[in-house]
Amino acid sequence: MDHRYSGLALVFVATAIASLVMVLPAAGQALRVDDANATEPAWTGARTPWGVPDLQGIWDFRTITPLQRPDDLADKSVFTLEEAAEYEAARVASLHKDQRVEDGLTPETDVANAYNHFWWDYGDTLVEDRRTSLIVDPPDGRIPLLTLDGQLRLDQRREARRRPAHGPEDRNVWERCIVGGNAGPPITPSAYNNNVQLFQAPGVVVIFNEMIHDARIVPIDEGSHLPDNIRQWRGDPRGRWEGQTLVVESTNFNGKTAFRGSGADLHLEERFTRVSIGRLLYQFTIDDPKSFTKPWSAVIPMKATEGPIFEYACHEGNYGMVNLLAGARAQDAAAAALTTGDPQ
Amino acid sequence: MGTRDSGAVLVLATAAIAGLLATAEAAVGQEQSYEPPRTADGRPVLNGIWQALGSAHWDIEGHAARPGPIVSLGAIGAIPGGLGVVNGGPIPYQPWAAAQKLQNFENWVTADPVVKCYMPGVPRATYMPFPFQIVQTPDHVLIAYEFASSSRVIYMSQPDFESPFDTWMGHSRGHWEGDTLVVDVTAQVGDTWFDSAGNFHTEALRVTERYTPISPNALRYEVAMEDPNVFTRPWTMSMPLYRRLDENVQLLEFKCVEFVEELIYGHLRKDPTR
Repeated sequence: MDHRYSGLALVFVATAIASLVMVLPAAGQALRVDDANATEPAWTGARTPWGVPDLQGIWDFRTITPLQRPDDLADKSVFTLEEAAEYEAARVASLHKDQRVEDGLTPETDVANAYNHFWWDYGDTLVEDRRTSLIVDPPDGRIPLLTLDGQLRLDQRREARRRPAHGPEDRNVWERCIVGGNAGPPITPSAYNNNVQLFQAPGVVVIFNEMIHDARIVPIDEGSHLPDNIRQWRGDPRGRWEGQTLVVESTNFNGKTAFRGSGADLHLEERFTRVSIGRLLYQFTIDDPKSFTKPWSAVIPMKATEGPIFEYACHEGNYGMVNLLAGARAQDAAAAALTTGDPQ
Repeated sequence: MGTRDSGAVLVLATAAIAGLLATAEAAVGQEQSYEPPRTADGRPVLNGIWQALGSAHWDIEGHAARPGPIVSLGAIGAIPGGLGVVNGGPIPYQPWAAAQKLQNFENWVTADPVVKCYMPGVPRATYMPFPFQIVQTPDHVLIAYEFASSSRVIYMSQPDFESPFDTWMGHSRGHWEGDTLVVDVTAQVGDTWFDSAGNFHTEALRVTERYTPISPNALRYEVAMEDPNVFTRPWTMSMPLYRRLDENVQLLEFKCVEFVEELIYGHLRKDPTR
């Protein structure tokens, strides 16, 4: 597709698609929310009894739209209707495949890769505005380059992942059941349990993610962040209202959650805007100059869902970590036996 | 002691008991007359950060102070005494369960599930020595506990909603009786305990909690336990819950998984540290 066609497609999307809820920003512009949703009951902007926008409900953020734009779509920010249908069909077929057969039937693929679409819960559809990436800034839809320091940290983590784990710290924080992968912050779609419930009381919003029974309590309009020496896995959130939008700023990260390479100095801004009775627009901006060469932003539409959300008890049943470490020690023993020539 | 003296003691004791009762009545009277702030739908406001005081998390029954299991922690690792929070005498265990409780007590360091940072279940989460936060809406009451980042949602308008399975924090359905939030907790796994003294239950446990505001900064917490596998009859506990009044108070993370990885996985390290 040439640029002119791509531009036409964008105009078409911006003017003719009733379900479009957001106008893509040009580079450097602030994200703008445009409540132009005509396929659902008119949104009256319900408010809580104490007068702030009511965001409450269970929100489903499943999508097969990737966070980053795939390389082969470098020139395309938005699919046409036909391209979107084609992409969705191909992606769903890929999720449905029996990996034991298509990737070669070995004990390893049977154990490690036997999941298919029955187990995954990515959903079957792209985001409604048919973007090719959840990232909207930078305009290429890709995470900006890491700084040297950020790259060094990423390389160290990758090295730890590759080797037979020396201990639990070599594995990522969701395998360790410390935080839920898709709960972030920021929230990003993943393989399953892409649900978040919002609760509101005067002066507080709770961001309650299914993964992993994670109730993030956001004080509204209340004071400064925690002292600099108090660091947390999910940072320290403070909220405020900007018109219809809940803005949550988080600092005081401990650096061990490492969202796509972020570090302890991450300044995270999340924005929640209810654009219709059944749609919540979630946007986040990662600002971490010590890790990324520039800030980056993503937009993730969420749909109202019935639920309920049940408890995801992760650590209480983490037999996986025991097995993984026991397997790593078996690998060590096998490698040692090879070196010394001793039979096992 | 002569008869006359003992008579004097009796008079004194009677006066003292009368005084106690008067005090108790006055307290109950105050509790009953307390008019809490209300939500838009007319319910008492329970929002806030609360915490139990005392040593019920160590042992819900009355107990003298005793040494702790970690020698190097010395005095700060010792277990403080407590008068107990169980109403009306010892917990009514069936004989087999009383023996099991003793065994749990003997082995609590290795057997107590919260030692491994498992979610404490209800009611233990309420009186762990950590704050918890209530966020109240007409249809749901969310309680977030600092310990292990555990949490639960109390469904206020779905009385027929049964849980399809058991969970660590159980399934909570609430309703109002006057100014008291009453929560029926079912579907808890049998793996949680009531304290670090080995008091336990099975998956048949049914818990009924009652939260009543008694002053701007305190709730009365009453909780009834039924488990026909373990107890001969239902039994109850009660204690006050205090509002945390610290300036800028907020729940902090106590993601204790990181603190127990050595305990649980240390023997599987490439270079074991112990």
